[in-house]
Amino acid sequence: MIGTALDIMSQVAPPRGAFVDHPVGRTFGPPHDRPCNADVLRKTLAEFPLFTHCGEIRALACEWPADGGREWEEDLRAELLHER
Amino acid sequence: MAFEYLPVMARAGAPKPPRVLATPSKTAWQRLEKPLAQSRVALLTSAALRSSEQAPFIPRDDTSYRLVPSDPAAGTIVIDHHSGIGRVPRQDPEIVFPRAALATLANEGVIGSLSPFHISFMGGLKSHHEVESSLAPAIAAELRRADVDAALLVPY
Repeated sequence: MIGTALDIMSQVAPPRGAFVDHPVGRTFGPPHDRPCNADVLRKTLAEFPLFTHCGEIRALACEWPADGGREWEEDLRAELLHER
Repeated sequence: MAFEYLPVMARAGAPKPPRVLATPSKTAWQRLEKPLAQSRVALLTSAALRSSEQAPFIPRDDTSYRLVPSDPAAGTIVIDHHSGIGRVPRQDPEIVFPRAALATLANEGVIGSLSPFHISFMGGLKSHHEVESSLAPAIAAELRRADVDAALLVPY
């Protein structure tokens, strides 16, 4: 699997877990960015043969946004807290 | 440091107790039998998405699934999942269901071939027993029938 929530992935321990540090709901990148979608998917599939044991989680070399800033976390927190 | 979802989700759900995360009762590890470049690959999604002509998922505890054509030109995708985070994925379902991207990688030879369909179901189901005893085996049977070698789950 590929997931954006490392804490959840760590608890459920899928057979092969690829972690992408993107906001939830944007696993393969921003809307309408086909090169980014393909890039994340290509990196995910490249990890498949590298897993050695059940429950292993491997982090993909992807950042949101590309400069590695974390400002998106406040927007995401607000979005999640308004979810009812 | 990765964003911590569990505390935020617990706060969002308060005063109800936090959701219980289930782990499978059986180990699901299978060795890869062949390289991905020779493998048929399918997507699995818990976004409760479907083709526009398929029956909608019923909110909350629907344990059915949909076979969604893997051809990216095979019509519009609709997301039925009740989560409030759906505003952005509904603008472009490819960001949670990379149907076109996987087809591209098949054309490039990164994977051997596409499954004729991908499989969609509802995420956040509370009936863990039914997921493990009924839904998951049914999905596995569909994948075996289609000679799928590997499946990528994208949780929603």
